Amino acid sequence: MTSESINNKANQIVGTSLTKCLTECEKGEETIVLRVNAGYKAKTRLANLGLVPGVKITKTKNAPFKGPIEIIVKGSSLVIGRGLASKITVECNGACLN
Amino acid sequence: MSCHSPNNKSSNETNYKNTINIALAGNPNVGKSVIFNQLTGLSQTIGNWPGKTVERMEGQLEFLGYHFNIVDLPGIYSLSTFSLEEIVSREYIISENVDIIINVIDATNLERNLFFTFQLLELKVPMILAINQMDLLRKRNIDLDFKELERIFKLPVLPVVAVHGTGVHQLLEEAIELIVYRHPHHHYKRRKSAESKHHGHSYYRTEHVHERIKSREKIKKTFKFPELNEVTTFGKEVESKIVSFIDKLNDHQQILSSCNYPSRFLAIKMLENDSEVIKLFTDTEERTAIINLSKNYREELEKLHGEDIHTIISSEIYSNIKKIVDLVLITKILRNIKKRSFNDFLDHLTTHSIFGYIILIAVLFGIYFFTFSIGDFIAGLIDNAFIIWSEIIYGNFGEDNVWVKVFWDGGVGGLFGAVGGVLVYVIPFFFIIEILQDSGYLPRAAFLMDRIMHSLGVHGKTIIPMILGFGCNVAGCAGCRIMETEREKKVSVALTSLVPCAATMTVVLGLVGRYLGFYWIIILFLINFTVIFIVGRILNKTLPGQCTELIMEMHEYRVPNYKVIFKQTWVRSKEFIFKAMPIMLILGIVLQILLIFNALEPVNIILSPVTVLWLGLPAITGVFLIYGILRKELTLVLLLILANSLNITLLELLTPIQMIVFSSITMLYIPCFATIILIAKQTSWKYAIQISLLEIAIALLIGGVINFGFQLFTSF
Repeated sequence: MTSESINNKANQIVGTSLTKCLTECEKGEETIVLRVNAGYKAKTRLANLGLVPGVKITKTKNAPFKGPIEIIVKGSSLVIGRGLASKITVECNGACLN
Repeated sequence: MSCHSPNNKSSNETNYKNTINIALAGNPNVGKSVIFNQLTGLSQTIGNWPGKTVERMEGQLEFLGYHFNIVDLPGIYSLSTFSLEEIVSREYIISENVDIIINVIDATNLERNLFFTFQLLELKVPMILAINQMDLLRKRNIDLDFKELERIFKLPVLPVVAVHGTGVHQLLEEAIELIVYRHPHHHYKRRKSAESKHHGHSYYRTEHVHERIKSREKIKKTFKFPELNEVTTFGKEVESKIVSFIDKLNDHQQILSSCNYPSRFLAIKMLENDSEVIKLFTDTEERTAIINLSKNYREELEKLHGEDIHTIISSEIYSNIKKIVDLVLITKILRNIKKRSFNDFLDHLTTHSIFGYIILIAVLFGIYFFTFSIGDFIAGLIDNAFIIWSEIIYGNFGEDNVWVKVFWDGGVGGLFGAVGGVLVYVIPFFFIIEILQDSGYLPRAAFLMDRIMHSLGVHGKTIIPMILGFGCNVAGCAGCRIMETEREKKVSVALTSLVPCAATMTVVLGLVGRYLGFYWIIILFLINFTVIFIVGRILNKTLPGQCTELIMEMHEYRVPNYKVIFKQTWVRSKEFIFKAMPIMLILGIVLQILLIFNALEPVNIILSPVTVLWLGLPAITGVFLIYGILRKELTLVLLLILANSLNITLLELLTPIQMIVFSSITMLYIPCFATIILIAKQTSWKYAIQISLLEIAIALLIGGVINFGFQLFTSF
């Protein structure tokens, strides 16, 4: 998928407000990253680790006390602080529509 | 970034005409250090990169008549400039000191690992891809098409199982092959031998290789890096920008020739607005023109894609990687087979919202217990040996002999003190920490503690050096090197140096615990943790910059590799013995000289306004506290000696209030000398002194408040 088509898709979905942030995902939910609204540095680090728009991720853990979350990106598990996770927009899957 | 790399070769290296310099590069936790250990054995040294706080692991070996000099680069994900590790690696790889890179890749995490490989490819340095953990991949019924990988990359790609040593020495054979023959294409035949059981130490081409190799300089110049256009080419828009930028750069030959970076790498980095690369253009007349051009290109691309440049470039690299991975994965079975393994169970348990914390606390106690029980046992043996030998020495030379006092009591006594008081705790501690680190537990602790650590202005990873600090602050501060930014390092060393270590625990248990009871220990601990909390808040407010968010990879649990653990323990202990111990020895002699000339009596007098008036302690404790800087538990030992010589118990020597004040002071007043050295190594001497002064101030404040609080309380 090219970046442009991802972007189109992102706009489409944003337009119909079918997005949510990563922190709102259920445990075990599989979704697609649409946008990373973080700062320059964090964004680059995440991009280097494979977390770019269009990538499929699975949320696997929620740390207790509103702590960080764990996701699987490209086969490796990544822990992201909650503040940062809340800036990552992901696609709503079927469950959201109900 | 210095284009002219510092030529820091030692003299004995230049004696070898046939030295091959290898840099091991790869993501963290891919088995780089296992390969490094398999290759170099015990001939390792830990140092720092010149002028940097990044650790440098180096080792040597002789193989097939060649001298290999291997540097284990820090594990990184990218060659940007966001961490010191990345800058150091990038500069080192491009320097004249590297003949060949061995890029270690985790087979079970191919896509993410290849991202770094793609960055290395742009540096156009001879490279071998070592695909590690092939056994794990094959267990999942997946195999890789190595022939296809070699066709794509036009570089040697070898399967390795580092923990078993399989294929490790083939990497060196391949290195000789690649840079001597410069034929990156004829090693398919040997693939079989690489995977067969015997490890091919005898190599059929050895003799030719010997004849062909003349000198390092020659090798370097004649190797031609393969053209990898079909692999590294970006999408149309990005690629056209890069190509036209390369054209522009070619007009500046003096810049290109003054640094070793290939023009394509420079062009990509200029597009990415890489601060270090931009610095290269500082002195040129057309600096603004070039920077503006890169800015225009960047903005054009960002507008087109609606993303920032790093995301665009990363996405493009990842889409190239996807194509390759689709080609080379032989059996495609879903990566995450839904089977609950023991590994998953352990992972679930240790990150659980209740059991996770219980296990964390258990691990902390486990560290204490292990460090204490082994350390105390050996310390007892050493102390006994010293007492026996002392009596022999005193018997022969007389106890009041000045030389005996200086060299035996001061020098040798200091050495024994360092061994018996610090080293015996440090070594078992390094050992258990290596196990914790290698097994993959520590990131789980960071995961659990992230939220709490955020209130101190750092993210969860800081808990890792702090856990280490519970056993020994020295090891803890050394562990602060894992922190990404300077700011985080500064906060981490400060917090870690305040954690009550095993030695401090001895004092608290031996004094307060023994005479006043368990509750007071809890109260002292609460005070200590409050101080850690407050110092964290203060540093968070005063240090420039912002608290960064946690981004951390969490690996699967694995059985620790005993070879790595023993070797790492030895290498770390060796570093401690040769760097920190001599200083302690000298300090011991100095203190003894001061004692002989009664120079410490004035110290007691000078300190007495603080010790006697403010803290309400006996004047003699002034000297004890000074000794305590050397070894924290010395404060208690000296108290016991004093009480013994006066034939009274500690309860008669000190009032309960004095005990509490004395213990709280010992806990907080200053990091021990070895810790101060480590803080300075991680940050700077200035910062180490600042932290020490801050801690003295806090300790005095708390000691005074306790003292006067009690006095007020009891006067009613």
